[in-house]
Amino acid sequence: MKTHKLFENNTHTWLMFGRDEEKATEIIDTNQYMVISKNNALLMDPGGIELFSAMLAAVIKQVPAEKITHLFASHQDPDIISSLGLWDQALPSATLHSPWIWEGFIRHFGMDNITYAPIADEGGEIKIDNVVLEYIPAHYLHSSGNFNVYDREAKILMSGDIGAALEATNAPMFVDDFEEHITKMKMFHQRWMPSNEAKNDWVNRVRKLDVEMLCPQHGRIFKGEKVKLFLDWFEALEVGLTGKNLT
Amino acid sequence: MLEEKSIEMEKYQPEIDYNYFVAAAVIAARLDQATTIAKQLSLTASNARAVALRAGERAAGFRPLTDFIDRLAEITITASKKINLLAATLSKTSAAKVRSDNAIKHFILVFTKAAESPYINSLNEVFERCKINQEQLTREYQRQIEQLSEELIMLSSELRNAVILATLSRVEASQAGAEYQDALINVADNVEGAAGKIKAHIKYSQQLVSTLK
Ligand SMILES: [Fe+2]
Ligand SMILES: [Fe+2]
Repeated sequence: MKTHKLFENNTHTWLMFGRDEEKATEIIDTNQYMVISKNNALLMDPGGIELFSAMLAAVIKQVPAEKITHLFASHQDPDIISSLGLWDQALPSATLHSPWIWEGFIRHFGMDNITYAPIADEGGEIKIDNVVLEYIPAHYLHSSGNFNVYDREAKILMSGDIGAALEATNAPMFVDDFEEHITKMKMFHQRWMPSNEAKNDWVNRVRKLDVEMLCPQHGRIFKGEKVKLFLDWFEALEVGLTGKNLT
Repeated sequence: MLEEKSIEMEKYQPEIDYNYFVAAAVIAARLDQATTIAKQLSLTASNARAVALRAGERAAGFRPLTDFIDRLAEITITASKKINLLAATLSKTSAAKVRSDNAIKHFILVFTKAAESPYINSLNEVFERCKINQEQLTREYQRQIEQLSEELIMLSSELRNAVILATLSRVEASQAGAEYQDALINVADNVEGAAGKIKAHIKYSQQLVSTLK
């Protein structure tokens, strides 16, 4: 598992964990993100059971266990949060922030100790120490209850499955050739995203934000001008397709 | 016929290599089947009572036996229910134990993977807590297994009476006169058959329990 620092100032740091060389090939590669502030840390989309020990080992190299006080799950998928039962043993006094609609489902992963903090459909914000992070609604992209995390200061948008690409575990961290990158993410967005309306609504919402880095849960990060390229491409893309309609 | 079936069942016992919480669930299912058989046994007792009543004076010796059959059925039902509950609790405990064992395994892996991390000691407390939890579950698990074994032994010794009961029933049946003899012998067969089947379930459960120890 590789660790990459995305941002750092005097109040907080953004880290990305991913490109796990030890994972089985049948498992989709995932990116995990962590914001570390003065006394706390928020771990976002901590990943699947298969990844847990690699993740905890990577995380513990950065912060002591008790500092991880918050977890965030953008939605209910196994690659996002099926490790919950183990985090529940590791971080018994942590809080999990996740869409309200998934509480009854996510608890099936095993949650005896961690507290569930439901996020309302409109979104909201979380303050860790003095760092404010916003929950940006991204419903139906692809999950029916789904949020991105936006950091105004760092200009980072953690976009979950939006912007995801299916590629090799040794892929670079950042998108370089955008046209080339489309081939790795087109089918994913057409097939996994169900609603054009939800997609365009999200694009409009995100265009109003100042985003320097758009960080998906799979594949590479979009940086600088690539963010706008992605939004334009995604807006024009027809989603909710199957079978021969896929291109 | 019933006896044949119980032998057949014993013959087809699958190899015992269940994961331990599956084994506990299998025991619960077996005892559930035993309860069903015991309920049939109690039906047999009331049938026998009716036949003995019709047979009148000549089957007078049979009537008290029906009470014993009833009692045997009742004991089996109560014990089966109790064992069933114990097995279900055991299954739950062992599932929790699997989870806790699993967490410990993961933590040990982290300790080797992140041995050089400056914060590795921050996991000590978590690890200790998990270990205490695991030890507690292990003790609970052992205690529940002991209880389960004892209950199975008790029920199995109660069932020994079934053979005597069947023998006595046959003796009494032979004195009830030609008209009722077959029906009463059939009762004796049923008692023996049901007891055999229940015993097979118990034996199988005992085998499973011994793999859990
Ligand atoms: Fe997903
Ligand atoms: Fe995903």
